[in-house]
Amino acid sequence: MSNTATQTSTGGLGRLIRRYPFLPALIILVLLLALNGVFEPRSLSFRSMTGLVSTYLALMMLAVAQTYVVFSGDIDLSAGSIVSLVNVSVIALMQKWGGDGFAVIAACLVGALIGLACGLVNGIVVAGLRLQAIVATFATSIFFTGLALTVLPVAGTPAPEAYWTTYGGRFFGIPFVLYAVAAVAILLAILMRMRLTTQMLAVGDDQQAAFQTGLPVTAIRIKGYVFCGLFAALAALCITGDTASGDPLVGGKMTLYSVAAVVLGGSALAGGFGTVTGSLIGALIIGLINALVFFVGTPSEWQNFVQGLAILLALMAGILVSRGARA
Amino acid sequence: MSELIVRGARKAYGATVALSRGDLHLKPGEVHVLIGSNGSGKSTLCKIVAGSVKPDAGEVLLDGKPVTIDGPRAARALGIGIFYQELSLAARRTVAENILLPAMPVKGGIFVDRTELEERTARIIAEFQDVAGEGFAADVTVDRLRADQRQLVEIMKALASEAPILIFDEPTSALDRAQVDRFFEILRRLKQEGRAMVFISHRMDEIFSIGDRVTVIRDGATVASSAIAETNADEVIRQMVGEREALSAESKPPVPAAAGEPMLSVANLSGVGFRDVSFTVGKGEILGFGGLHGQGQSSVLRAIFGASAHHTGAIEVGGKACAARTPAEAIRNGIAYVSGDRGRDGTLTGRPILENVTPIHFLRNRLHLARPSVLTALVEGPLKALKTKFQDIGQPVNSLSGGNQQKVVIARWLIDRPSVLLLDDPTKGIDLAAKSDLFQLIRSLAAEGMGIVLYSSEDAELLANADRILVFNSGVVTRELQGEERTRYNLYHAAYEAA
Repeated sequence: MSNTATQTSTGGLGRLIRRYPFLPALIILVLLLALNGVFEPRSLSFRSMTGLVSTYLALMMLAVAQTYVVFSGDIDLSAGSIVSLVNVSVIALMQKWGGDGFAVIAACLVGALIGLACGLVNGIVVAGLRLQAIVATFATSIFFTGLALTVLPVAGTPAPEAYWTTYGGRFFGIPFVLYAVAAVAILLAILMRMRLTTQMLAVGDDQQAAFQTGLPVTAIRIKGYVFCGLFAALAALCITGDTASGDPLVGGKMTLYSVAAVVLGGSALAGGFGTVTGSLIGALIIGLINALVFFVGTPSEWQNFVQGLAILLALMAGILVSRGARA
Repeated sequence: MSELIVRGARKAYGATVALSRGDLHLKPGEVHVLIGSNGSGKSTLCKIVAGSVKPDAGEVLLDGKPVTIDGPRAARALGIGIFYQELSLAARRTVAENILLPAMPVKGGIFVDRTELEERTARIIAEFQDVAGEGFAADVTVDRLRADQRQLVEIMKALASEAPILIFDEPTSALDRAQVDRFFEILRRLKQEGRAMVFISHRMDEIFSIGDRVTVIRDGATVASSAIAETNADEVIRQMVGEREALSAESKPPVPAAAGEPMLSVANLSGVGFRDVSFTVGKGEILGFGGLHGQGQSSVLRAIFGASAHHTGAIEVGGKACAARTPAEAIRNGIAYVSGDRGRDGTLTGRPILENVTPIHFLRNRLHLARPSVLTALVEGPLKALKTKFQDIGQPVNSLSGGNQQKVVIARWLIDRPSVLLLDDPTKGIDLAAKSDLFQLIRSLAAEGMGIVLYSSEDAELLANADRILVFNSGVVTRELQGEERTRYNLYHAAYEAA
């Protein structure tokens, strides 16, 4: 009875968006895919799509990482620096341990641990010591970049062949990155059902209310940063596979892209509302915009300009769609 | 079966004492009413018991054993559940998630058990389903609910804790009759089960229909506690008023000869939180707004000032129609507004005193260039008249005490005199000396011919300074107190009447 009342009070689109907040982003994604197809029909082939995913899987991971801190109303400006630090650490370790399969796996595990540790540091600094998230993680980003530069002062050390041939290779005729995407999808589906996700969103919604409710607010926020560190490390492993080399500054410019992906995906930057699925779509939107800018033949000196404009348009379109649905 | 005793609980925020001596004896199987005027410390006492406020002193005994409650989680573990007056809901989460947020059912250690969540919340919601109204369902997010429905969710959240001790801090303020009746049925059942409940309400009829005992708090201290059957509404109000009744009669201002020509007249003003408000303020008059906190007084003042919208009604300033839609318009029409919430409405934090005194001057005279020497000369007079204490006109305003900050904010209205001054609880967080300076100034401004409206949440202040008092209850003016009627007793009586 009461359900029908809510249904009639708003349109069908509004109801769908409330249930799937990433819907506007999905519409933009499909639109961009179509545009890409118009300007470069081959870009819709299985092969190019796989290439797109393998290039932007790192950004997708970083967008997921950012989402978990944004859920509880925080932000991590060091996410990209964690990517850099893990990237150079993994490269250095694999080189040191001799580049066979075992060394690769061991280095990846250590890389994940480094990501977790960075996340823990951020969590303690922001939630434990109650510093402003935006400034504190900006400071830790400089700190992590500094560490990365001591591990590998200049870009260029190559990854062992076993690593990048796996990342770029195929198994049973299916590209490795698609297995990775499937694994991440399953992982995210599991994480979405966690009590912690609901608690993070409740903290982001109203921190005081969450405290009065009896939630361990500080611990929940720290866990958000730890998740962020872990997924940033996964992003680093992807980028290592894609570029096949170490670069102490590789992640720096990815940080704000990850924030943009979260917002494009329909999450509220103030916290309390959003989905990881949306952030994945947001990262793909950024990837497709970059591809489109290339396919339409933008002169190189205009590429940044057009790319920035396109992201702005995508943001506006997303807001217009959700606003139209609410009215 | 839990018995809770609080003895000598004390809590101060800086110089402001929220609770000086809170005592409470809560027995199993009773509904214990807490009553007291605005800011008397009821909510602070409740929050101390619920663990969200840490007391400076005092002890809490649970079943005879002293306990320390060092957080909301600890309180829950001890079996204490609470309904927060300001609600503790996550707006973007669903009704079901909110109800069980404190203790989400889990399976496998980390995953939300959706089936269990749905079953348990369905049972709780079922008790209110027929009175909850349209659009209320387990899977609706809280931000899509009406105020009364949100209050029901907070009630359900408290009930879901199944705690032996339940505290309800004004749970009925937005509920309609049917919802209150249903809530009371449940309270009576819980009483049968032997639970102990604290109930706060400002509606006398509710208190006498559900309460077993009543404890009265006045100025942060517990003053009386008696069985409901052995007392009555008049007695309770007398206890809330205290002996200061006699004092306040003496400090009452003399009745002015006759209010002069109308400076501000408001007719049938309605908006969000108030309806059909009409009054006139004469030249040289101080009109008081009284009643419980948040009954529409601030909303009316902000609507006149153009800081929030009103739907219908007419406003005249000095005989000229003035329907200001922005504060800038209102200011140019000669209206001044001083709010007690200095951080939000008053000071430009971090900026020098000089800049804090001059913005109205710039606005009214449409100035665009600042000439420090001219401005400094302009500013000196008003600051001196208010006895503002500061070292240097260039020091940031937030380096001053609360009282001096408020003087700086008031000084900005004195360079170009307005014809109407609206005071919205202006003495919040100000020391006594500054208060008396402020009221002296306000009286002298009135004597110079300004029309003044004063809303104060402190009844003593209102009684001592207002020539006439309009008592607000649920957004409407329920009574006007004039001349000899201006007593604490009458003020409370009008404020606590069932609306």
